[in-house]
Amino acid sequence: MVYALSTCPYCKRTKRFLDEHKIHYDHVDVDMLDDDKADEALEKVEKLTGRQSFPVVVIGPEVIVGHDEERLRKALKI
Amino acid sequence: MSETKQDRVYCPVCLARFKFAPGWKAGSVVICPICGQRLVLRQTPEGWVGDRPEKGTEREIRERVEEYAKLKGYVFNDMKEEVIQGLLGKRKRFGDFYCPCRMQHVPEYQCPCKPTRGGDVDRDGKCYCGFFWKKG
Repeated sequence: MVYALSTCPYCKRTKRFLDEHKIHYDHVDVDMLDDDKADEALEKVEKLTGRQSFPVVVIGPEVIVGHDEERLRKALKI
Repeated sequence: MSETKQDRVYCPVCLARFKFAPGWKAGSVVICPICGQRLVLRQTPEGWVGDRPEKGTEREIRERVEEYAKLKGYVFNDMKEEVIQGLLGKRKRFGDFYCPCRMQHVPEYQCPCKPTRGGDVDRDGKCYCGFFWKKG
């Protein structure tokens, strides 16, 4: 699962990286949600990471904050 | 001797008031020394204010961030164009040039945001969005 902002360049890089590696993933652009849904997503992000920083990639038990190709490779075993 | 009060100019981007320099008059084009915004001076009953002559345009934000980087001695990296696209996206979707990596669309996060103007780059080496970088 990828939590992102539609305007965040690092989120775009993370999505591009996953696409390039043909990883299937769900994603949500939190800033494009209706207020209630956005609040819900932000709460989730805060619970997962302790802050509101993007992107957040959840791979099993692993939570990766920010665009980090090395951690993505490791978690996805690619 | 009468007491003279230092005139100040209100900047609608960083919401601060900077010193009015000798020789300026209504219609003068000046750069806000705090955020780098280009402003046209206007006198109001409440004092001097700066208007944004190209409010909301790509040219405005490009010029502002260049001026700000020049004022502070900061540099950009290879994320520059992507961050600018993010700023343009914020303007289109949320009304102004707010930090593209933040969820909040409030005046203090107008680029260059308040934490940046407060010294984040000097302290952390970069701003929250990794747009402005400390040299070296």
